[in-house]
Amino acid sequence: MAKPTPSQTVGPFFARELLWQDGGKVLFPGHGDRITLTGRVFDGNGAPIFDALFETWQADSGGKVPSGGDGARPYGYGRVSTDTNGAYSIDTVMPGSFKGPAGETYAPQISVAIFARGLLKALQTRVFLAPLEEIKDDPLARAIGDPERLRTLIATRDPRDPKIYRWDVRLRGAGEAVFIEY
Amino acid sequence: MAETRLADVHPPYLYPDYKSTRHRAPAQPLVRVAPSPLEAAGPAFPKHFVKESEADLTTWGKSAPLGEKMVLVGRVLDEGGRPVRRSLIEVWQANASGKYPHPVDDHEAPLDPNFLGKGQLLTDDEGRYRVVTVKPGAYPWQNHAFGWRPAHIHFSLFGNAYAQRLITQMFFPGDPLLAIDPIFQSVPEAGRKLLIADLDLEHGVEGVALGYRFDMLLRGPHATPMGV
Repeated sequence: MAKPTPSQTVGPFFARELLWQDGGKVLFPGHGDRITLTGRVFDGNGAPIFDALFETWQADSGGKVPSGGDGARPYGYGRVSTDTNGAYSIDTVMPGSFKGPAGETYAPQISVAIFARGLLKALQTRVFLAPLEEIKDDPLARAIGDPERLRTLIATRDPRDPKIYRWDVRLRGAGEAVFIEY
Repeated sequence: MAETRLADVHPPYLYPDYKSTRHRAPAQPLVRVAPSPLEAAGPAFPKHFVKESEADLTTWGKSAPLGEKMVLVGRVLDEGGRPVRRSLIEVWQANASGKYPHPVDDHEAPLDPNFLGKGQLLTDDEGRYRVVTVKPGAYPWQNHAFGWRPAHIHFSLFGNAYAQRLITQMFFPGDPLLAIDPIFQSVPEAGRKLLIADLDLEHGVEGVALGYRFDMLLRGPHATPMGV
């Protein structure tokens, strides 16, 4: 059986190569409630990770998987790097929930991949845009079980601006986010 | 089954000889899930997202870049041997002196005004790609005393499903620096040769460019047992 090509780190030198103008503005063919997903990425010492590539892929506001693009860019996909404070920001629409092949319900969520120097493989996960009590039946929430760990994947709404969802990501140690594999 | 195969070839997150992994590798085990319907699909890059000229890194400047010109060909397949069609490949690399045009690259080597080191293309209907470039140089890094990265070309692939997303590096055959590179050595032995291109003279250009071949294999989007 053939073996998959091994992963390697994205390294520190990708900004000119992989980043796009307005890569953090996620496009969709239709309308939806515009929201911002923003936060910071930290390492195991609590230091901000200033050189991560942060990617998002999500359903549209009706829970439909995007296909095609607006001409120049694919729908539903965002790509930014963290800044010197470890901060990222994605301007997108609120994704709808969607069904899996066995009828299971996926809560409103965004699939995230993080690449960086010091990460030999991508870190993949899903961030939830709904509170704990509304995601209990989600397949990943059920697989995690422990509410404390699950909370690491829940973006919280900014009380002053409900269009802003905040999600900090700790790669290692206290408060370490849950990461997934397929 | 899939688990064993993956463990065979992919590096661990924590590989202490590569120092940056010590503070960035997750300590908790990953949670295994089936790809969501979203992750079983992926972003669709329209045909005109890339320009044909972007597969030739040697025509970016006013004249030819310095270095050993090379043609790199290969195919991208999934685990079932099916071609990954019309899928975005992005490549980037140092110039022939081992220098990136990047503000945080402090290696005291010259930039080449005729080389940016960035390319992209979509695979064809057979999963094939072809890139024209120059062989990148090795460069020193501060991971450990006398550390040098072997010459490498970075690859970013999307596959046909977001669950197949891969970023990797391609290396050159016979490079003595491979033995001292913790990034390359982080890959279990069974996977290392999969990151090394083969000389493929016939795909070069006679008298002009050396040919290399680098095939890549991505996990199938449904290679995970059903369940969660």
